[in-house]
Amino acid sequence: MNLFEFCYGLIHWLVDLINHLWYWLGGFLPWVFGDFFTWAGDFAKSDEHITVMAILLEVIVIVIIALINVLNFIWIDRKWMGRMFDFYGPYYVGYRIGGWLQNLADGIKLFVKEIITPAKVDRMGFLLAPVIFVSSSFLALSTVPLSPRFGVFTSPTDTGVPGGALIAFAFFAIAPFSILVAGWSSNNKYTLIGGMRSAAQMMSYEIPMLLCVASVFLLAGSFGFMGIVDAQHDIWFAIPLFIGFITFLTCLAAEVEIQPFDLPEAEAELVEGWTTEYCGFRFGLFMMTSYLRGYIGGALATALFLGGWQGPAFIPDEFWFLIKAYLVFVVIEWMRWSTPRVRVDQLLNIGWKRLMPLAVLNLIIAVALKTMGWF
Amino acid sequence: MPAKKKTTSFGLVLKPMKRSGTQVYRSLIAGKPNTVLYPYQKLDLPPTYRGKHTLDFKKCIGCSNCVQICPNDCMWMEKLEDPELGKIERPGIDMGRCLFCGFCVEVCPTVALHETVEFELAHSDRSKIKFGPKDLRDDSYTDKITEERQKRSIPVLDLGKCTGCEKCASECPEKCIAMMPVEGVGKKKPEINLLKCSSCGKCAVVCPDKAFAMTDVYESYFEMPEPKFVLKNCTGCGACSRACPADVIYMMEMPGTEKTLKDGKKGKPKKRAVFVLEKCVGCGKCFRACKFQAIEMPGVKK
Repeated sequence: MNLFEFCYGLIHWLVDLINHLWYWLGGFLPWVFGDFFTWAGDFAKSDEHITVMAILLEVIVIVIIALINVLNFIWIDRKWMGRMFDFYGPYYVGYRIGGWLQNLADGIKLFVKEIITPAKVDRMGFLLAPVIFVSSSFLALSTVPLSPRFGVFTSPTDTGVPGGALIAFAFFAIAPFSILVAGWSSNNKYTLIGGMRSAAQMMSYEIPMLLCVASVFLLAGSFGFMGIVDAQHDIWFAIPLFIGFITFLTCLAAEVEIQPFDLPEAEAELVEGWTTEYCGFRFGLFMMTSYLRGYIGGALATALFLGGWQGPAFIPDEFWFLIKAYLVFVVIEWMRWSTPRVRVDQLLNIGWKRLMPLAVLNLIIAVALKTMGWF
Repeated sequence: MPAKKKTTSFGLVLKPMKRSGTQVYRSLIAGKPNTVLYPYQKLDLPPTYRGKHTLDFKKCIGCSNCVQICPNDCMWMEKLEDPELGKIERPGIDMGRCLFCGFCVEVCPTVALHETVEFELAHSDRSKIKFGPKDLRDDSYTDKITEERQKRSIPVLDLGKCTGCEKCASECPEKCIAMMPVEGVGKKKPEINLLKCSSCGKCAVVCPDKAFAMTDVYESYFEMPEPKFVLKNCTGCGACSRACPADVIYMMEMPGTEKTLKDGKKGKPKKRAVFVLEKCVGCGKCFRACKFQAIEMPGVKK
């Protein structure tokens, strides 16, 4: 039973329950609305309606799980950083669970703050940028299934979007556009520099990253997550494509904008970079989404290189996937809090002179493996 | 010169990661982070830490030296009535202005004032951090700390009892006592050279009139002003003697100054102030009390 079937059954049961009441109510009022009650009840019972509602429920479930993961990620980030810098990290709120509730407290604080729109901003872009940033990230999230039975599906036999990995990377790459829009419309030189840096950064990391992904597609012979993960049944792609894996992780750090590649929001140089003019819950959305992108990045690395949900059966598939995603995130965080920020020209150097040849070498290895007939 | 080892870009990332990984091992697995969780845990402060002051009422003599030396002018003397000690004067401290220099502690001649390790003095109300003498009082604190300053025992002469028998001068093992004539009186009194004195206490033992008493004197880091006595201005009123907190000034009857009254009898002799400067704390109270310019104290404001 996959998630769609479960949601379909739940919605069906709910509709049946409500329809009993609905028809009973309609028995009293036939002279007011005529056949409206019967028509509405039949529509609610119809297969199309229940399918749409089940998909909506699926999306809610996936988003809730993603948000819980985001809370965990922020907690891991702060705690891990604290131990790395020899202090405790969050401590008091949620004392018994290691300060986990601190994130909720911060979220509530951000939620009740006043939301200010500066007078001289370009309102259209200023208000649209968070929407693009958050929605594109959630769309990228929706394509990644946690297991063959846990994802956003549209039928009981569905196994996710065909070519899901391609679509995930397409949505994942939209974010620099919204950052540029936010930086430009904020009408502030710090935000503008941040936005422009984001565009320049994208030039350097996007191509090596997609080359690494292309080598995975080549070995797996599929664009969808199901095919890619199934192809890793015998051996994880991280082992033959080790160079590609390292390159991919480096590019991922640049993609989700964490140190040493957090040029757009360099705190020391550009106050808060492109989020300078955002406050209250808009900033909270940006913050939440940047960690959500960290989760998506970990999930993508897991699915493409670390064998996805494959693992010994004593742990459910979904948890295997999450454990691997968390491990990838922790490694990236480790790199984040150990290294200093690179300059813009250094980033371009790294992107074009180091990562690009490595990605091409990785592609050559993949082609060689494929021609040898080992995959 | 050895060639500089070239670091690869891979090593530029891995070396810091190794370092921070070691730190995580130290603070997560092997031990705990370096942070002190302040309201629940506190650091062990050194005993010489300068925090809130404490005052030993029984040791304090109310000389006001601490008030005079305070650079921020944050201390004041308060007149109190204590059931045990009677009418006394003790200092209070305004912690809002205190800069914790510790001068008051160092200048205190009887080591009654101390600084504790108590540092949580913040309050939302300014008047709450003004500590009067009763708030500072802690008579047992001086027993808890080890004495750091040099303590010395010296013989102090009670001139009223001395008969000038020269026994102390002959018995002194250091030979530091010499008999000197008292100014204006046909009498001799022992002068002690305190540089040579070894605090053996023999003079106090051999004295037939028990005029010597061994007294503890603390040596101060500060140069104390000493009162200079101008005998011809003294009227013998005794105001300086009453003002002195350290019992330095005795009023002595001067023989040969009696007036002959009309009926031929002799009147009472005039009194003059006599200073036992070994005990003097240099507070200047006698200088302020004297209304006849009989005491001069250079360096002290009237």
